[in-house]
Amino acid sequence: MFQNRAEALALALPAAVFVAVVFLAPVLILLSEGFHIAPGGWTLSAYAGFFSEALNQTVFLRTLRLGVEVTAVSAVIGYVAAFAIVNLPPKSKGRMVGLVVLPLMISPVARTYAWIVILGRTGIVNRVVQGLGLSSEPLRLLFSETAVFIGLLQLFLPLMILSLISALENMPKDAIPAARVLGANWFQVFWKVVLPLTREGLVVGGTLVFTGSLTAYITPAILGGSKVLMLETLLYQRISVSNDYVSASVIAFILIVMSFGANLVLKRLATARSRA
Amino acid sequence: MMRRLFSPLVLFLLLVFLIGPFIIIVAASLSGGETLAFPPQGLSLRWVAKVFTIDSFRASFAMSMLLAIGGTLFALILGIPAAYALSRYKLPGGETVRTMVSLPIIVPGIIVGLAILRYLVVPFSFDITLALFFAHTALVLPYAVRVVSASLNNLRSDMEEAAVLLGSSRLGAFFRVVLPNIRSGVLAAFILGFVTSFNQVPVSLFLAKPGVQTLPIDMLGYMETTYDPSVAALSALLAFLSIGIVFLAERFLGFSRYV
Repeated sequence: MFQNRAEALALALPAAVFVAVVFLAPVLILLSEGFHIAPGGWTLSAYAGFFSEALNQTVFLRTLRLGVEVTAVSAVIGYVAAFAIVNLPPKSKGRMVGLVVLPLMISPVARTYAWIVILGRTGIVNRVVQGLGLSSEPLRLLFSETAVFIGLLQLFLPLMILSLISALENMPKDAIPAARVLGANWFQVFWKVVLPLTREGLVVGGTLVFTGSLTAYITPAILGGSKVLMLETLLYQRISVSNDYVSASVIAFILIVMSFGANLVLKRLATARSRA
Repeated sequence: MMRRLFSPLVLFLLLVFLIGPFIIIVAASLSGGETLAFPPQGLSLRWVAKVFTIDSFRASFAMSMLLAIGGTLFALILGIPAAYALSRYKLPGGETVRTMVSLPIIVPGIIVGLAILRYLVVPFSFDITLALFFAHTALVLPYAVRVVSASLNNLRSDMEEAAVLLGSSRLGAFFRVVLPNIRSGVLAAFILGFVTSFNQVPVSLFLAKPGVQTLPIDMLGYMETTYDPSVAALSALLAFLSIGIVFLAERFLGFSRYV
């Protein structure tokens, strides 16, 4: 440890000043815009106005709902997948982790685009459905909430699996056999042993998936279009179509509150565990 | 018996869901047909070849490369000293600095882009390319600080203290002792930053404009008007590029230790 404060400040200052000027100041001014729409005064009326519109309520609830659904489903799939991966022999485990990480390196545009090939009017699913004679018309699969859900799940599932793998590996090796010997069934083993011991990993993964889903832009834009708006796509519309900066500021603030809220919960839960 | 079959089945389905779409993109891009379809109609490289003839893709690819390489380098120039100060000094307000440099990860990118457009570009008639460059730097900075901090924390600080006691200047000790030892961490930060910057869309969404486009945004625009497989071909090419970079990094650096 060096003690010289001036030196330390000189090293850290350029980065801090850069963030303050290029990032923090503009974002804070943008966020303040929704609070003082009347000259000179601060008011919440833009927020009241925003939430009084039916479309905005729908979009807000949809964003929240998709975030929760994607997080919950990826937690369930994540546990099953992480268990299967952790129990592999070391060499195939490494390969499997590599394959799970692989999609994270691919452009989200490319990953989302693939779902058009699969779910589109002439896509694979429709060919199979029509080939089997289950429907004469092509099904409308794109531009639905389900399509957005599938896209988001594929985008963020790897993050959940990765954090659950490390949580499972940090668990004491004999915890599960011990519970089994003492007569617990598989459900009790999961609920009473695995879940409490991997809570931290679940919370980390959950936060990443939840905030990721809230703030994703490309997936709802491509797979939901203007039919299935989420807060991010709504914000984009408010600026590019109607130049409505007040609404944009309101949406930005809501998104940030949700995103920070999730991160605070994470910190709280993580520290609660280490204290216990 | 059930259990023995269960695991492979789970892993197979998982890979179908995670990797399957990527394989379909590759197959669709090799199609000889006029529109995007799977299974591909005949095999041909015409759409892969077409990608290289589209001028706007060439320009936006160059812009994306410039932003990803330049922005990440700048983020490292700002981030390495900050990471060093955070790990080696008792910094007054260290927690504040740490929080500040990690903020750009938490705030949704679309808001950052909009804020920069409205309060830097418009009032100060800031150059768009420079604004994009700063936006990408801000986006990458948290990763740079985090990865470099991790490798600094793995390096014992008595090494540079010894160098200083033996008469080296603080700066000399940094360049001769510290930097060579965190080399692979810095490279890992560079690659992670590069991939993050190159693939990102929301931050540049409001900033980009005709003539100053990044590649992913250019692709989104192209998809809106054209339904041929060239975007699939480009996606496949980019995916192989990212996989290649990450594979090499993993091979030579053990990249995954830092992520």
